[in-house]
Amino acid sequence: MTALLTTQEVVVRFGVLQAVSQASIEVHAGRVTGLIGPNGAGKTTCFNVITGLQEPTSGKVLLEGVDITGKSPSRRARLGIARTFQKLEVFGSLSARENIMVAAEQRKAWDKSGFDPKKVTDEILEKVGIAEVSEFMVGTLPTGTARLVELARALATNPRLLLLDEASSGLTEEETEEMAALLRRLVADDGLGILLVEHDMSFVMGICEYIYVLDFGRVIATGTPAEVQANPTVQAAYLGTDATEEAS
Amino acid sequence: MRLKFSPRLISAVVVALIVAFVVHSNWGSASVTGQTIATFLVVGIALGGVYAISAAGLVVTYATTGIFNFAQAAIGCFLAFCYWQLTIQWGLPTMVAIVITLGIIAPAIGIALDRVIMRRLRDAALVVQLMVTVGLMLTFMGITLTIWSPKSPRSVPHFFEDTKGVQIGDVIATWHRIITVAIALLVAVALRFLLYRTRLGISMRAVVDSRSLAGLSGAKSSVISGASWSLGCMMAGLAGILIAPETGLVVENLALVIVVAAAAAAIAQLKSLPMVFVGGLIIGLSESFSSVYLNFGTDWNYAPQAIPCVILFVALLFLPQARLETGKVRLTKRTERLTKPWEAAVGGGVMIVLVGAWANGWIPWFSGTTFGERSAVWLGRGVGFLIFGLIMLSLVPLIGWAGQVSFANFAIAGVGAVLFSHFGGQNGSPIGILFVMLVCAPLGLLIALPALRLKGLYLALATLAFAEFTDKVIVRHPKMIDPSATGVLFKPLDIFGIHISSDAADRKAFVIFLVITFAILFFMLELMRRSRWARRWIAMSDSPAASATIGINLTTTKMAVFMLSGAMAGFAGCMLGLSQGALRVDSFPMFLGLPLVLLLAVQGVRYPVAAFMGLLGLASFPALSEVMGNPSWLTQVSLIGPGLAAVAMAYRPEGAVFYSGRDLAGLLPWRADAREEKALLDQRTRDQDIGRDDINDLGISRSFTREKVAQLDRVLSIADAVDDHPMVVSTGVTE
Repeated sequence: MTALLTTQEVVVRFGVLQAVSQASIEVHAGRVTGLIGPNGAGKTTCFNVITGLQEPTSGKVLLEGVDITGKSPSRRARLGIARTFQKLEVFGSLSARENIMVAAEQRKAWDKSGFDPKKVTDEILEKVGIAEVSEFMVGTLPTGTARLVELARALATNPRLLLLDEASSGLTEEETEEMAALLRRLVADDGLGILLVEHDMSFVMGICEYIYVLDFGRVIATGTPAEVQANPTVQAAYLGTDATEEAS
Repeated sequence: MRLKFSPRLISAVVVALIVAFVVHSNWGSASVTGQTIATFLVVGIALGGVYAISAAGLVVTYATTGIFNFAQAAIGCFLAFCYWQLTIQWGLPTMVAIVITLGIIAPAIGIALDRVIMRRLRDAALVVQLMVTVGLMLTFMGITLTIWSPKSPRSVPHFFEDTKGVQIGDVIATWHRIITVAIALLVAVALRFLLYRTRLGISMRAVVDSRSLAGLSGAKSSVISGASWSLGCMMAGLAGILIAPETGLVVENLALVIVVAAAAAAIAQLKSLPMVFVGGLIIGLSESFSSVYLNFGTDWNYAPQAIPCVILFVALLFLPQARLETGKVRLTKRTERLTKPWEAAVGGGVMIVLVGAWANGWIPWFSGTTFGERSAVWLGRGVGFLIFGLIMLSLVPLIGWAGQVSFANFAIAGVGAVLFSHFGGQNGSPIGILFVMLVCAPLGLLIALPALRLKGLYLALATLAFAEFTDKVIVRHPKMIDPSATGVLFKPLDIFGIHISSDAADRKAFVIFLVITFAILFFMLELMRRSRWARRWIAMSDSPAASATIGINLTTTKMAVFMLSGAMAGFAGCMLGLSQGALRVDSFPMFLGLPLVLLLAVQGVRYPVAAFMGLLGLASFPALSEVMGNPSWLTQVSLIGPGLAAVAMAYRPEGAVFYSGRDLAGLLPWRADAREEKALLDQRTRDQDIGRDDINDLGISRSFTREKVAQLDRVLSIADAVDDHPMVVSTGVTE
């Protein structure tokens, strides 16, 4: 089975700094894939490459086996990629409902199934659990709620692949659990492929089926949560000890 | 092998061909000899030096503070006048005057600007930054015009005017030019030394890379920004003093140097100081080349003056594409609700009734003045204000919603007026108006085209350049406006049997026609704000990156709003032409369009009703003046006022309509929501208003109370997180 998303040896170089080197990642439909790593490991840069905000220095991005490396962000959205951002990128001077409406209306441009954007918006507001605050301007909402607005907006484009950058930061414990439940539903019911960048380890380990660990732009470990947790290189990267030094 | 042409290479070839064509077809009688080449070089290098100094100041402040100072040249102009006052008027020696001007006045202005205004702008939206510095430009121009009345001509002498200069080949390079070049070189070396060899300069460069990191490693950002604004002002003053003998000590000429400086800065991509000097030289040499070798003939007489605008445009074509940046979203804690359609309809109705009543003389106040009696003069002015209001209205979707700052709409209206005089205007045909709108829509787009892929600041520069280009080239071509033509260019417009024209008898009808059109457009914009178009524009303005990732094509979305705005400005232009009867070549100077943008921004650029408030603001100056018996101070207020009001946006960025709406909407009986909102806001303000004394001895001489803890939590906005886990169990604790 071809993976929903494949990145092939993606390299991103800023001057002398290699933010991402030779990163190859696969995301499959119907499951949550995790992308973890210490700060500055290149996770967000990976997301930017996948969504087209950052042109890779070399390497390819494939969606269901089709090369989309040269496509613009808006083309990729039409092909079914949606994302949230690590630092909020909500439309702050629109209400929560309008935020989602914009995305639902935009979907009209490529999805000719004759859906009603208003109805879709209401459904998603309900699904994500922000119907109560839908008339507030997003700039006035607390960060956690604004994150949910971003998620709802991403869902409104009816994506096949959803990229979540630190979905749980700013959420309370309770909200984090609701978020996990929601993501499980999306994966199980709608067959979405989700790629998740996350710092909350219990959240990651609880929800992801497969995990990539990134450090200094390199994939240093892959596997199931249990495998990754047991991996000494990963522990070294997270605890900051130098694995090679220890080995010698 | 696939042949791949880079778009840049193609544009380079196209630009080169066009330049070659222009040079070829306008080649003058001068032959290329040693003498002409020497003249060309001497003049060009000296000019280029001055431009580079001004542009370097611009780049230093932009690079270290992130604010593009549109007032740069206007400050230079003010300082050049100061210098004139000190030397010519008060007879101080040149050196003393220079030291006072550049060593005392310029840094003082720089530090004051930094302290009072610019620090508040650091994290402000681009629209606000632009409005404040453009406002500052008009303020400095206004102050200069007020202190030194333009009625008496002045001139600044060249340095060493009485001496002969140096013979280079057959050409005499005056000492002034030699000094100019020497100073430019000195400035370049000094800047280089300052930025790379001194502690202050190294901190300045560190701030450019990362403000927060530089702060952590001990750089004092207040010292740095103060220093860079002072430096910027000093260079502005230096450029002003050096160039004043060439352009004459005239406010508009000196302030226009901003276009040149901006072009040189754009060539340097607003960051590279060596490229600033290259840019300055390119412009200076082009100008002197055209003056030595080219002869544009009477049709394109003013074309040489537009060289900097053209270079700015070309520079924008070659700038690298801006990346879609993330993490730059500023969330404003603004609460507002959309205007309901019936409210918009009532609003439009009120506008019609108000203006209609005034035009018919039904408002009883101020009788005894011509304002009260609605003389033909006042009705004519009313027409003008309403047309300016239409232009402001055309800016609401463009600037307010899509966040695309354009200073070109007045120029587009100017082009519209000229076009209407050729098509439809002479026979009063309303079809002509449609035609003009159809032409002006893509015109708006054309201006934006080079800047669509760049960041917002460059768009503002491109529109400024276009406004200047329109004034200097487009409308001055005899085919556009024939200066020898006399008489009225426009036949009255005939709508439902009512004549609309600039004739005294038709003016009342004109006013009422305009206010009805204005109200209809206002209503349509209010409806549009609720439509998917406006949502998409606002989304694009709030976060371009997020918009792209939900499938919005930013380029076409921007194009749509430019076309809408251009068409509206075109309509306003037709009315402008009709209202003036005859058109003059100098009817559309760039500086006339800027106050319109500022007035709208001061009122609140997101709200269509702000255009109406803006036109009332415009009308208020002459009206007050009339009612109060033409006091002279009011003229000065009207010169400085609009700029100063825009500067105040550093403190009140959302505009008057927003603040008054927030504070007053509750008075409307059906706005219970606004009353609740206001109560909530007041509550929050009271809550967060916690003085130092409240905290200082908490827990030492006074005990933590539950209320105090709750208040602290709210101030630190951690209330939600800690509600379930109170830090202090304070039940039963009393003082």
